Amino acid sequence: MIERSNEDWLTSLQSPGKAKQGALADLREIILNSLPYAISKYLHPSDPHFDPLIQEVAQETLLRVMGRLETFKGQSKFTTWVHTISVRIALTELRRARWKEVSLDELQGGIDSDDKMREMPDQDMDVEISAEQSEIMAMIQKTMMEVLTDKQRKALVAVAVQGMPIAEVADRMGSNRNALYKLLHDARLKLKSHFEEQGITPENIRSSFEK
Amino acid sequence: MAWLKRLFRSKEKAAKPEHKMAMTSEQADKMLRMIEHTQDEELSCDEVFKLLYIYAEMASLGEDVGELFPLVEHHLEMCPDCREEYEAVMRILEKRMD
Repeated sequence: MIERSNEDWLTSLQSPGKAKQGALADLREIILNSLPYAISKYLHPSDPHFDPLIQEVAQETLLRVMGRLETFKGQSKFTTWVHTISVRIALTELRRARWKEVSLDELQGGIDSDDKMREMPDQDMDVEISAEQSEIMAMIQKTMMEVLTDKQRKALVAVAVQGMPIAEVADRMGSNRNALYKLLHDARLKLKSHFEEQGITPENIRSSFEK
Repeated sequence: MAWLKRLFRSKEKAAKPEHKMAMTSEQADKMLRMIEHTQDEELSCDEVFKLLYIYAEMASLGEDVGELFPLVEHHLEMCPDCREEYEAVMRILEKRMD
């Protein structure tokens, strides 16, 4: 494979004919060789889905790279820029597969239903919790009910409490990742200023868990 | 517990019916930590994505990226999706198979 500078990559990819085909083939090779480092944590290389996923992501990455070459500002290696694109495509796909069976409602963990909680007892959960801690938890929850909109609360519980990816919550709410991050930011700001108005810091509350 | 009473005194009358939420103390702690570190101005995921390749490459070269890009660093602490992607890019740059 030819060693290319950033300028070489850009010139070849924007030129017609063989130079472009050669650069695309090399870039594809680089993506195929690099992606396993990024995704083997989530999908074992022996998994039958591993190779097809890598091939598919490489193809999609090349399309996106060609579609937005002008947004590469040249402050890193060209291939690093390409890696951020391939990683985003791959992880988005993996998250979708990992979370596809989970609905937002079941993630609320009984926030709107006491019955649901009784149906799904969790042996490991809060077994050692003190009365004071459980009072604090109830208060945090009550604050969330009072201060946040339904949408903000649902998203915050799914992301911050249950660990659902922002992109997945966004999909289920008919939104997108960028907008959902902003919604969560607003929710956090609201809670923070509510606590401040009451003369309390989240740190204050957290220290109660350490007792 | 005075602060706890203070927190809810003002809302007591308007309080909605009791709800139970399945949240462990670790989860509550994580959420409170996020609230504690919330800033008025934060970058969005799209803004961070446009800087991520520069940030990752500088990090892989051992630069103090927290100092150079504090808002990107902060976003990566608050956004699990972007964090995951940043770490995956770093594994590629460092050829680490974790």
